[in-house]
Amino acid sequence: MNATIRSNQGTTIVDVTGHIDLGSSPALRKSMLECIKNNDRMAVNLSEVKYIDSSGIASLLEILKEARNTRKKFVLFGLTPGVREVLQLTRLTGVFEIYESEDDVVKAAKG
Amino acid sequence: MVTDALFKFVLPSHPRYLRVVRAAVGELGSVSGLPAEDCRAVILAVDEALANIIRHAYRGHFDRRIEVTCQAFADRLEFDLLDQGEPPDPDRLAPHPLDDVALSGRGTHIIRSIMDEVSYEQAPGGNRLRLSKRLPAVLSGVEEEGKS
Repeated sequence: MNATIRSNQGTTIVDVTGHIDLGSSPALRKSMLECIKNNDRMAVNLSEVKYIDSSGIASLLEILKEARNTRKKFVLFGLTPGVREVLQLTRLTGVFEIYESEDDVVKAAKG
Repeated sequence: MVTDALFKFVLPSHPRYLRVVRAAVGELGSVSGLPAEDCRAVILAVDEALANIIRHAYRGHFDRRIEVTCQAFADRLEFDLLDQGEPPDPDRLAPHPLDDVALSGRGTHIIRSIMDEVSYEQAPGGNRLRLSKRLPAVLSGVEEEGKS
């Protein structure tokens, strides 16, 4: 798993690649928590995520809670079928704000 | 004549080996005729069960022994997971309604949602979790039988 952070028109984008599992989700959780503390709008790009387990989903959920508690925006985009299926299995599809693409995230930010 | 396949892995309880088992489970599912979506689901179920062993049975110790036996029969896939850690809390194994905001406890729900049979026993060799998934040919056979 690798996570890199960049900015696109006021939104902080976290590009995640590879496998998010029991071994890698603590590192991802840590970098996302740091990121949400320092940015008002954060979007996680999941288009290159080959696999995610419930520990990865729990990490995303924790960042969402942190964002809500601190009145910040946290969204997901580029969900692969595998990621979408895990969100459906855990019945969390409706809990996250999900966009198809980065363009959609940026457009939504502009309102 | 041999028609059923059996693969056995003995691995340390380290998360780095999870992707090795995931790859093997995926390939076994694929050659056994599971559609891609079901393959991904079975990979997830086995992976969640292994993660539970590492987190709960072995309390995060990465140097303990896990045995994974994968079997492909004509009608089903079976996965047998054996560990020598703490026996699972029966309450954790039981089906629960999902809490929208809970950060943990989703693994067992996922396993039960995906697999057709989930059974646990305290065997002489340790804790044994058996997961079973019917293969599509059997499912379609059952449907055809029901129609006639």
